[in-house]
Amino acid sequence: MKRYVLERIIRSLFSIFCVVTIAMFLVYSQIDRNNVFKEDQAVLKLKGQPDAYLNYRYSVWETLGYLDYMTQRDACTLEYDVNSKEFTSCLEIGSPEAAALGEQYKAKGYSVEPTPESGALWFTRDYTLVERIVRFYSGLINIDNPYAVQDANNPDLERKIYFGNDLAGKPALKCSGCEHKYLIYFNSDFPFIHQNIVTFDLGTSYPAYKNQAVTDVMSLRQGSAVKETVTFETGLTLDTSILDHTCTYKEVLDQLDSNKFVDNYANCLTNMAEDSMMSVSIKMGLMAVAIGYGLGIPVGMLMARRKGKLADKLGQAYIVIMISIPSLAYISFFRYLGTQYMGLPGKYPELGGADWRSWVLPVISLALPQIAGLMMWTRRYMVDQSSSDYVKFARAKGLSESEIFSRHILKNAIIPIAQGIPGSIIGCINGAIITESLYAVSGMGKLLPNSIKGFNNSMVIALTFFFTFLSVFSLLLGDLLVTVIDPRISLATSKKGGRK
Amino acid sequence: MEENKFEFVQFDEESSEHIAAPVYSYWKSVWRTFFKNKLAIAMLVVAIFVIIFSLIYPRFSGYDIAAREHVMDFSRRYISPNAEFWFGTDNIGDSLFDAVWAAAGSSLEIALIVTAINLTVGIIIGALWGYSKKFDVIMLEIYNIVANVPFILILMVLSYIIGQGRWQFIFAMTCTGWMGIAYFMRTQVMIIRDREYNLASRCLGTSTMTMIVKNILPFLISVIVTLVSRDVPGNIGYEVFMSYLELGLDVNTPSLGRLISSYQAFMNVYPYLFWIPVAVLATVTISLYLVGQFLADASDPKTHM
Repeated sequence: MKRYVLERIIRSLFSIFCVVTIAMFLVYSQIDRNNVFKEDQAVLKLKGQPDAYLNYRYSVWETLGYLDYMTQRDACTLEYDVNSKEFTSCLEIGSPEAAALGEQYKAKGYSVEPTPESGALWFTRDYTLVERIVRFYSGLINIDNPYAVQDANNPDLERKIYFGNDLAGKPALKCSGCEHKYLIYFNSDFPFIHQNIVTFDLGTSYPAYKNQAVTDVMSLRQGSAVKETVTFETGLTLDTSILDHTCTYKEVLDQLDSNKFVDNYANCLTNMAEDSMMSVSIKMGLMAVAIGYGLGIPVGMLMARRKGKLADKLGQAYIVIMISIPSLAYISFFRYLGTQYMGLPGKYPELGGADWRSWVLPVISLALPQIAGLMMWTRRYMVDQSSSDYVKFARAKGLSESEIFSRHILKNAIIPIAQGIPGSIIGCINGAIITESLYAVSGMGKLLPNSIKGFNNSMVIALTFFFTFLSVFSLLLGDLLVTVIDPRISLATSKKGGRK
Repeated sequence: MEENKFEFVQFDEESSEHIAAPVYSYWKSVWRTFFKNKLAIAMLVVAIFVIIFSLIYPRFSGYDIAAREHVMDFSRRYISPNAEFWFGTDNIGDSLFDAVWAAAGSSLEIALIVTAINLTVGIIIGALWGYSKKFDVIMLEIYNIVANVPFILILMVLSYIIGQGRWQFIFAMTCTGWMGIAYFMRTQVMIIRDREYNLASRCLGTSTMTMIVKNILPFLISVIVTLVSRDVPGNIGYEVFMSYLELGLDVNTPSLGRLISSYQAFMNVYPYLFWIPVAVLATVTISLYLVGQFLADASDPKTHM
C-alpha cells in the first residue's frame, strides 16, 4: 500500500510536470509576446520616448520570465567595482570598456544593440524552455529561515526565532533574519492559525494585478482598505489599515517606516474589506457541496426505493433537465426566479459578502447540478445493489425494507460516491466559472478566463499548475478514501490499469 | 377418435435441421421498441424539427452576423415579437428569429462535427487499445496524464494558444476529447471480447466477421448511441460555455452562447431577447439528449425480449 501511494504520488507529480511543461512551451512560444501589452495603459504613454518604451517592455518581459535583459549600467555594475575608474568610463557611451562588455556578452549568446535615442548598449537573451522550467520550479517553494535575509547595509541583523505578541496582543512565533517577521500567527480568519514558513511563488501577474504575486492575487483580501486603531511597537498609535502579519523585510527604510517600526520589517500589506478570491470560492463551494450531498443522497435513496413510481419519475425528469441543459440556461432561469419573486440580490456586490442574502442564489445555483449528479449515481448504485444475493438473503430473513435499504444497500452503494468527496471539496478552490460570472462574485472562477482574455501569461501558467495539482491530488485522495471506507478494496494489487 | 383423420408425414432430413425460433431482426426490433414510447416519438419530432430548422433555415434567411445591415435603422430596434418578427428584433435591428436559428445551427454544426471526430478517432483507437497489450501500456500512461487535468482547463488554454475561430475551437475540443471515448471503448472491447457467449460462439466455429457483426456490434451500438446522446448536448454545452466567456469562437461566428452572453444585459428591459435564445438552447439540447437516451435503450438487445 505504501509503495503504491508513493508510486502514485510520483506519477502524479510527473503528470503535473508534463502538463505544465507543455503549457509553458505553448504559451511562451506560440503567443506573440507583444500581446501582454494589449491591456496595459502605461506602455501607450511611452510610445513617444523610444528608450523608455524599450526599457519598459524588456523589463516587463524579464519579470514575466521571457528573457534576460540588462542595460549598460546593469552590465557595468556586474563587471566592475562601483567606485572604480573603469566603472565610470564604462558608463560612457562608446567607451572601450562598454565595447569590450558588448563583445563579451555577444559571445555568451546575448543580442547587444545601442538604444535608439541615447545609443547606450542594451543586452538581451531569450531563456530556453529548459531554463524557464528550471526557474519556475526552483522558485516554487520558499522555506523561510533566519538566514534568508542577506543585507549588506545591516550586518548586525539578529538571527533568531522567538515567541512574542503581534500588534493586537495575540501570541505569535516571530523571527528576526527571516523574510517574514511572523512565522506562525492567529487571527479570526478560517482556519484561524496561519503560517509564513512555507510560501509558494507561482510567478508575477501582468498586466492585470500588475506586478502582484499570483499567490497574493488569489489569497489576499480585496476591495477597499479598512482602517483600525493600531499601536505600533514604537508606541505610535495610528488609524491604519496595516496587516502586521504580512510584514516582510525592507532594505531601505524611510522616515514614516522608522516612526512605526523598531526593525526593518516594514513591507506590509493593507487590510481590505472583502474576502480573498480563494476564500469566497471555498466558502461558496463548501456550502453548495454540503447542500448537494445533504439532499442528493437521501433523494437518490428515495428514488431507488420507489423505483418506477411518481417520485422516481419526477427525480428522473429533474436529472435529465440538469444534465442536458447547459448550466448557463438553468442558472439564469433560477437567478430570474430568485430576483423577481424572492427579492434576493442578482449580483453579489449589491449587498456584499457580509450580507447572507448575497450568498443564497449563487450557493443554490452551484448546488442544483450537484444534487442532480448525486441523485443519479446514488439511485444507480442502489438499484444495482438491490438485486444482489445479500439483499435477497436479508429479505428472506425477514428484515424490513427500510432496514435493508438504509443498513445494507446504502453501505455498499455509498463507496463509489465517497470516492468523489475529496474531489468535490478540493474542487471548491477552483471556483465556478459560470455561476461566478452571472452573479459577479469575486472568486477564483473568473481568474482563468480573464487572464486568457487579458494575455496574462504567467497567470495562465500558474493556474494551469495550480488546478492540475489540485485535480491530481483530489483523485488520489478519493482513491485512498475508498480503501479506508471499504477494506475489501486494495489499490496495491490492481497494478494493471492504473486509475480505475 | 377415427384413424382416417390422421396421416403419415414424410420424414424430411432438411427441415429437421431447422431450429424453430421467431425471426429476429435487430434494427426492426430497435425501431419497434423505440416507437412504442410516446415521449420518444414526440421528442424525435421536436429534434428533427430543430435540426432541420437550425441547419437549413439560416441558408435561406439571408442573415449575416457580420453585416449588421439594419444597424442605422433605429425604428427596427427592440420590436417585441409580432407577426412580422416572430421573435422580435434585437439591439442592432436584426430579426431575432434569424439570429437565433443561425446561432443554433452553428452551435449544432460544431457539436456534431466535434462528436463525429471524437467518436471516429475514439472508437478506432479504443478498439485497437482494447486488443493490443503493447499499445495498452503506452496509451494508459498518456491517458493517465490527460485524464488528470480538468477538460475545461485544457479547452481554455488550447483556445488561448491557437486563437479564436470555428476550426480552432473544433481542434481544441477534439485534441484530447477523443481520449475519454477511446478509454471507454477499450474497456468495453476487453469485457465483451471475452464474454462466455463469444467464447461459445468461437468454439462452435463462427467466423470472426460474423462474430463482430452479430455478436459484438449490437452490444456496442447501444453503448455508442449512449455516448452520442450524451456528447452532442455536452459539446453544445461546452461551446455555449466558452462563447459565453467570449473565448473559443470568434465574433463573426454565430453561436448560442455568444447570443445569450450579449443579450444578457437586456434581461430586465427586453426579457424576450434573453429568454428566447435560452429556450431554444434548452429545446435543442433536451430533445437531442432524450432521443439519444431512448434510442440507446431501444438499441440494447436486452430490451428486445
